[in-house]
Amino acid sequence: MTRMPDNGKITPVQMMFLLHPTIVSTAVLLVPAMTERHAGRDMWLSPVWAMLSGFAVVLTAWALHRRFPDDTLIECAGRVLGRFAGKIIGAVYTLFFWHTSGMLVREYGEFVSGVFLMETPTPVIMGGMLVVAAYAVRGGLEVIARCAQIIIPFVAVLFLALVLLQTREFDADRLLPMFEYGILPSLKGSIVPQSWYTEFIAVSFFYPALTDRSKGLRWAAVTVLLVAVFLSLTNLAALLMFGELAGRLVYPVMSAARYIEIADFLEHLEAIVMAIWVFGTFIKICVFYHLLVQCAARTAGLSDWRPVVHPLGLLILVSGIWSASNLQELIRALGSSVVFELLFVQLGLPVLLLLAALVRGKKGSAAEAQ
Amino acid sequence: MRAPLSANLGENESLLRDVYADCADVVFRRFATGDGTNALVLYVDGLTNIEELDRCVLAPLMLQTADLPARPSSGQPEGPPAPQAAQPSAQPPGQPAQSQGQPRAAEPPAQPSGPQPTAPPPGQSPAQPEQSPGPPPTRQPTTQQPPAQQPSVQPPDSPDRLANLRIPVSGAKPVADIADAVREISTGGAVLLIDGRPGGVAFGLSKWEKRSPDEPKAEPVIRGSREGFTETLADNTAQLRRKIRSPRLKMRELEIGRLSRTRVIVAYIEGLADAALIEDVTARLGRIDIDGILESGYIEELIEDNPWSPFPQVLSTERPDAAAAGLLEGRVALLVDGTPFALVVPASLASLVQSAEDYYQRFWISTAIRWLRYLFFLLSLLLPSVYVAVLTYHQEMLPTTLLLSVARSREEVPFPALIEALLMEITFEALREAGVRLPKQVGTAVSIVGVLVIGEAAVSSGLVSAPMVMVVSLTGIASFTIPRYSAGFAFRMLRFPIILLAGTLGLLGIMLGILAIIVHMCRLRSFGVPYLTPLSPANGSAMRDVFIRAPWWMLDRRPLPGEPINPRRQSGGQRPGPEPGGARG
Repeated sequence: MTRMPDNGKITPVQMMFLLHPTIVSTAVLLVPAMTERHAGRDMWLSPVWAMLSGFAVVLTAWALHRRFPDDTLIECAGRVLGRFAGKIIGAVYTLFFWHTSGMLVREYGEFVSGVFLMETPTPVIMGGMLVVAAYAVRGGLEVIARCAQIIIPFVAVLFLALVLLQTREFDADRLLPMFEYGILPSLKGSIVPQSWYTEFIAVSFFYPALTDRSKGLRWAAVTVLLVAVFLSLTNLAALLMFGELAGRLVYPVMSAARYIEIADFLEHLEAIVMAIWVFGTFIKICVFYHLLVQCAARTAGLSDWRPVVHPLGLLILVSGIWSASNLQELIRALGSSVVFELLFVQLGLPVLLLLAALVRGKKGSAAEAQ
Repeated sequence: MRAPLSANLGENESLLRDVYADCADVVFRRFATGDGTNALVLYVDGLTNIEELDRCVLAPLMLQTADLPARPSSGQPEGPPAPQAAQPSAQPPGQPAQSQGQPRAAEPPAQPSGPQPTAPPPGQSPAQPEQSPGPPPTRQPTTQQPPAQQPSVQPPDSPDRLANLRIPVSGAKPVADIADAVREISTGGAVLLIDGRPGGVAFGLSKWEKRSPDEPKAEPVIRGSREGFTETLADNTAQLRRKIRSPRLKMRELEIGRLSRTRVIVAYIEGLADAALIEDVTARLGRIDIDGILESGYIEELIEDNPWSPFPQVLSTERPDAAAAGLLEGRVALLVDGTPFALVVPASLASLVQSAEDYYQRFWISTAIRWLRYLFFLLSLLLPSVYVAVLTYHQEMLPTTLLLSVARSREEVPFPALIEALLMEITFEALREAGVRLPKQVGTAVSIVGVLVIGEAAVSSGLVSAPMVMVVSLTGIASFTIPRYSAGFAFRMLRFPIILLAGTLGLLGIMLGILAIIVHMCRLRSFGVPYLTPLSPANGSAMRDVFIRAPWWMLDRRPLPGEPINPRRQSGGQRPGPEPGGARG
């Protein structure tokens, strides 16, 4: 195996700042409406159920990491299943991340062009973002992590401020009656968020880069909890504001922001929502872009991943344009077929890989620390 | 050029005259010492203190006759010249110069104890002739073996010994070859060559017209030292040494520039600065191969980590206290001869937006001022672009009344907001540049023309809207709040691409611009230290010096990231109060 050029080291806290927006930034916009359709008034509980998937992914990745401490998912597959099957798994992940990052960029493009820049062509919006993302991705994981550490605290504060500013419009009666049809609706509603939680598989690529590996699992678990808090809060806010109407809105958080009005001066704070969205999504796009680059380069056995950054960026743009013909189609896909794709590739495959490793008794060469 | 100085004065002189052919400012003064030996003094006119040279070097040597009787009386009829002349002839002329030059260099500090009795008399050179017949004979029996009494066996008198014995100049050192001599002469030293002795002596009698330290013009403070660096390297090192008197303050000297041969001092505190950092700095300086260094800016551009970045990766300061503060934090300071600007590395964004005065005022004030600065710092980068973006794409964000008043003022303006903003910003930058370059008296005229004529007329004729003038002026004022000129420059410049982005993509463009800047800063390192250092990678205790200016008794830790060798700069628990040692919690 050729040694990849150093991606830099990240601290466990930086890993949290990378993972958190990877789930939350897109989930806060589209997921509340999708959850409401299944869970109704109990939608605030669904992210908490979905959290279990998150833990499952994080634990699976951790178990694999313990067996193969210096390897990412791609190398793990090669070690467990042999060279050929490993390449196939690698190809699956490469295509998968190509597809998901394309959809992700498209979600971003649709949101911005749908809400803010209605006359700007979507490819321009997506391309602009990808250019900046490519610059970050070329710097390696460490650079993305540092950006996340700067941006995400700021985004989180803005998000909480936004929720706080909406409280005037909240009506607690909209939560009632709770559990009218038992907990089943909230469980059903958790399926879509679950697919988002499985994106935690990115930790498999972060664990080997940690400065303090012993704290990896703890911080990953903390992140899962934090994500659950944020998503639950988002759903709760949407519910308190709109009740069951939330399901009919495309972007409930966005619509809620329009209600904010303070001192007759601060109104129309959509710009803040856009800031949250653009900054958070930027980190998410960087993470997925990074995963795509790593998967592609590792599967192809390249000695350096930097040269493929820009070509792959162009491919992401293409995949973003291809992924759906319009926003409605994209949302439909995200709520149906893509859910299974995400669940299978990001949760199913790693679990199968772990089982195979257990059965075949494979361990990494550098597994001297147990 | 490493030709050694031989014992033959004529040979040396012709060599040096070749070197200094067509140098009208180099003075060759030939003279005969008291005992009739030919000698040569050469120096650069205007760089050397001629009065001192005459009084302390020429006079004692010319009146040296008085010495002559001393030696003969000790049994050698030929006197001092004999052993000295005999020595070089016994050995090849090249060899002894080298072999003696080195060990002798270590000698001077040790020697004064011996020669001291004789050293004071030459101070009053007129008195010397009468006195010296006495001392030398008395000294020789006491310090040297009296029975031997054979000067030919004792180590031959070398030029520097001579300097120590009879010439009352403290800054004297031996020169062994032409290159040494040339270096000394070029720094204002006078080089003395005496016939019959290999090598020569250089006297550090440099003196030239120089500026006395005055208030740093680019970094003024209300409270704090008013002393700035000057163009003279020795004065600057002295100022640092006066602030940090410990011998742990080290100063390595380098010479950079093929022709300018600029002296550069690498200053650091032993035990605080990382050895790897010092090595890195020295190695990068060593790689520089250029004909001339005229300002520390040359060095800055030649040792940066990322030469394409708009951000300064080296902190340049005129203030000795700022440089000393950097040293105490474990940074390395570079002092360059000929410029009052010292460089401090590694720099981070936080260190570039801090002012020295932050640490001298009360911490409440400093904290408030820091936040004000951060706010205006963002304004200087973003205000015009946000204005353009809101007017062009996001009118709904403005409250209706405000929107109406802005719209009314823009009614007559023929340009779109983007063009209007670019026009005004460029005009403003031009006015500012003109104000800096022009003589002071004309400067006021420029501001009158700029502000009154252009500003007023542009608004009243409806070419530019009044809110835009306000925005541009506020941006200008905001850019003056950044304490370091070089950091302010980067943001002033980045303002323009962001205005363009705002004009094409609205707020999204601004956000993309901010993201690009953040990513760039995250990629940037200054001598291995991440540019955004206490923020990302995060360092909690160092953040106390960024988000607030914590009082001094809380700033226990040095702010450099990684594992500093000596992380604590003071003992903890120094919170003052009536009870000693901050005992009360």
